[in-house]
Amino acid sequence: MDLVTRYIAAVQRELPEDKRDEIGRELNANIRDQLDALTEQKGELSDDDSAAVLLQMGHPRDVAQQFVPPQPLISLSYMPVYRYTLYMVLGILFVLQIIASTSAWLHSQFGLLLYLKSIASGFIGDACLAFTAITVTYMLLSREPTAAAKATPNWHPRQLPAVGPGWQTISLQNIFTDLGTYAFLLVMIWYPLWFTPEQLEAQRISLAEPARQFLTWCTPVLLAGIVLNIGQLKQRFWNRPLLIANVTLNSALVLILLYLAVSGPLLEINMAALPYVFEWDSLQRTIVVTLLITACFPGYELVRDLLRLKRLARA
Amino acid sequence: MTQSQLDKIRLELRRGVLVLAVLASLKEAHYGYSLRKQLNDNGIEIDEGTLYPLIRRLAEQGLLDSEWQQGEGRERRYYQLSASGHSLLGQLTDEWQQLNGALSNLLGVKPEETA
Repeated sequence: MDLVTRYIAAVQRELPEDKRDEIGRELNANIRDQLDALTEQKGELSDDDSAAVLLQMGHPRDVAQQFVPPQPLISLSYMPVYRYTLYMVLGILFVLQIIASTSAWLHSQFGLLLYLKSIASGFIGDACLAFTAITVTYMLLSREPTAAAKATPNWHPRQLPAVGPGWQTISLQNIFTDLGTYAFLLVMIWYPLWFTPEQLEAQRISLAEPARQFLTWCTPVLLAGIVLNIGQLKQRFWNRPLLIANVTLNSALVLILLYLAVSGPLLEINMAALPYVFEWDSLQRTIVVTLLITACFPGYELVRDLLRLKRLARA
Repeated sequence: MTQSQLDKIRLELRRGVLVLAVLASLKEAHYGYSLRKQLNDNGIEIDEGTLYPLIRRLAEQGLLDSEWQQGEGRERRYYQLSASGHSLLGQLTDEWQQLNGALSNLLGVKPEETA
């Protein structure tokens, strides 16, 4: 079989079925014309001469792609909204997975590593399914001829946010990390509601009753945090009211953590069930230090947002 | 500026006028290879991988009519401007002349020198 026939067949393999015959036929005619012109100049052509012409044409896949350019799975005009949907859904799945894994952890009291593995494996499984479903949906939307027009929503310059410094944009990652934390704390505080007394009795580590009572009263603060995060999802832009709300929330969180650190044991531990693992005093000291370190995070956000408020007032 | 950067910019500059050059050449019927030769003879170098898909695209847009003909013992697909291709060529020619005049002013050269 001559080189040209093999080359045309290789190009055709890379083409959609309905275009193979026509493009192959035309490409064949063009290459043969080129070889004829070369024969007129040089006389009888060798296989090497034919190969040189084909090499100049380019790799069969490249030639096929020039005839029928590859289409991206998702139209470029849909790309920003596709990515936004993906991040939103993955963020929500992350929060739901934290709730599910924390509930399972409190039921079974497995180790911390298994708890983290449960979050990771559950989230990865759900994320793969969501990624596939979202990608296929946008792929189908992209096939519509009017995809580009539909992907651009109606807008008006007046609706655009005022120009501000880079920090005013709130990242989705921060929002969902905060949502995950609030969901975790809510499950930790309210888990006795869906436990039987026997299950509660069998717990090796649980919140001490005074601490749990106090945290129960703190539930509105956590709910306010969730409402604030959902608000941030709608308007991902720090403005004065949002900063004031965040300052108030973080102040409350710092106070809660400091109170827990100084008010006595946070956890009730069945030392008989864990005789060789902990010493009671050193464990309580570790918890106090952990609570103080944890209080530094909302404390940092508190100072940061106060400075931002000051900068906004000056602008 | 490196040679590859220069080549890239030159390619972008030429890509825009290739359609005009191809439409202008196809006032007379040509098959793929003869069209490429005509363009080359007039100083417009274009490789096969760019030209053949471009002609097909223009034909699919209805700007060219095409017909398979037997000649010199082989079939060839001949292309020629369609009615809408003629109309577009007229508009693009006006556009090119305006652009050429404007660019000549900016570059500080006479239009003949840039043609």
